[in-house]
Amino acid sequence: MDTLKLEIVTPEGLIFEGDVKSVTFPGEEGEFGVLPKHASLLSLLKPGVIEIEMSDGKKESIVINWGHVKVDENKATALVDGAIPLAGASQSEIAKRIEEAKELIEKASENKAALAAVEARIEKAAKII
Amino acid sequence: MANLKDIKRKIGSVKNTQKTTRAMKLVSTAKLRRAEEVAKRSRFYEEAINDTMSEIASAINKYKVGGIQGRYFEQVELPGVVDIIFITADKGLCGGFNYQTIKTVRSLLNEFQSKGTKVRLKAVGKKGIEFFAFQGYELSDKVIGLSSSPDYKKAAQFIQGSVEDFLAGKIDGVILIHNGYKNMITQEIKQVNLLPIDVSRFENKEVSSMIELEPDEGEKVLESLIKKYIEFNIYYALIDSLAAEHSARMQAMDAATKNAKEMVEQLTISYNKARQESITTELIEIISGMEAMK
Repeated sequence: MDTLKLEIVTPEGLIFEGDVKSVTFPGEEGEFGVLPKHASLLSLLKPGVIEIEMSDGKKESIVINWGHVKVDENKATALVDGAIPLAGASQSEIAKRIEEAKELIEKASENKAALAAVEARIEKAAKII
Repeated sequence: MANLKDIKRKIGSVKNTQKTTRAMKLVSTAKLRRAEEVAKRSRFYEEAINDTMSEIASAINKYKVGGIQGRYFEQVELPGVVDIIFITADKGLCGGFNYQTIKTVRSLLNEFQSKGTKVRLKAVGKKGIEFFAFQGYELSDKVIGLSSSPDYKKAAQFIQGSVEDFLAGKIDGVILIHNGYKNMITQEIKQVNLLPIDVSRFENKEVSSMIELEPDEGEKVLESLIKKYIEFNIYYALIDSLAAEHSARMQAMDAATKNAKEMVEQLTISYNKARQESITTELIEIISGMEAMK
């Protein structure tokens, strides 16, 4: 099974690094998925959720507010302003993360409809975890 | 000969100073470690954004996409107005750290002025602001507190004015100067031409295939990327400067502690000499008194 190297970086540090099966980005012009051997692409990202399918089949979600992603054949690098991974050891920790994520999104966008859509996605992503 | 009490008091005061400088050194060491940690984390982003920029720059060169003829890349032979942004510390007691930066800024200022270029100075950090205020230079923008606790948003705000003026054609260049961290014991002045962006600064990378841009208008992607690049550059300079400041202070305080130690040693010697002298004088007095009694 082919994998793709994914890096998610914020000015404060590396948020995620690893080999993944596939990843979905909230692109400026719509959501798009990236699989290994994708054509080179540079896209802006809008507030939303990056969904990652790890090489062992586990799923992970990371909420971002703004950024861009550069995709090569076997590597994707996302540079984002702020990112909060929706994961945690306990239920309360996850709940806290969700709150933080919502706050991040609210600060990033003024569009109420888009905001609600993203929040719904966050809830959905959180349920899977 | 200074009297015994005076010397003793002096020794006490030097010892107290030594305690302070030693404590300051320890504090700086701890802060340096933290600043270094932050810088290390930011380096990932720096690498990533530089990589992306260089790839795009070379892709644009090769395939002529996106419109490199944008204002961002236009090199001007003889700039009319230039912004110099420089970063100093908010606090002193760190050796020549702040002065190094100020010196570079001044020589650059003179160089530009002799060529007839107007310079707008923008200062981050109290020490630089104080210096230029004292010299009677006008600062077009200043901020205190940013250099001791770098913040991405505030840094971006600070640079925004310059970027807007640059795009509007009011200024022809933005130069960023700071004293950066090299290693634990050395700092080096770093001078970067933020705008216009020097394409030759990026190594020419072989681009495997043509890059697709999304949204389609390359300008928009490029513009937001460049904006990020500039914002991040100033943020990184702040972090770098902070680490350098702590390392400079650590060294300065180390030297001060050593000097204080030497001074205590010397004072102790002269104290002992003075004591010996007074004992000798007393003895002579007693002996001559006894001689007189005979």
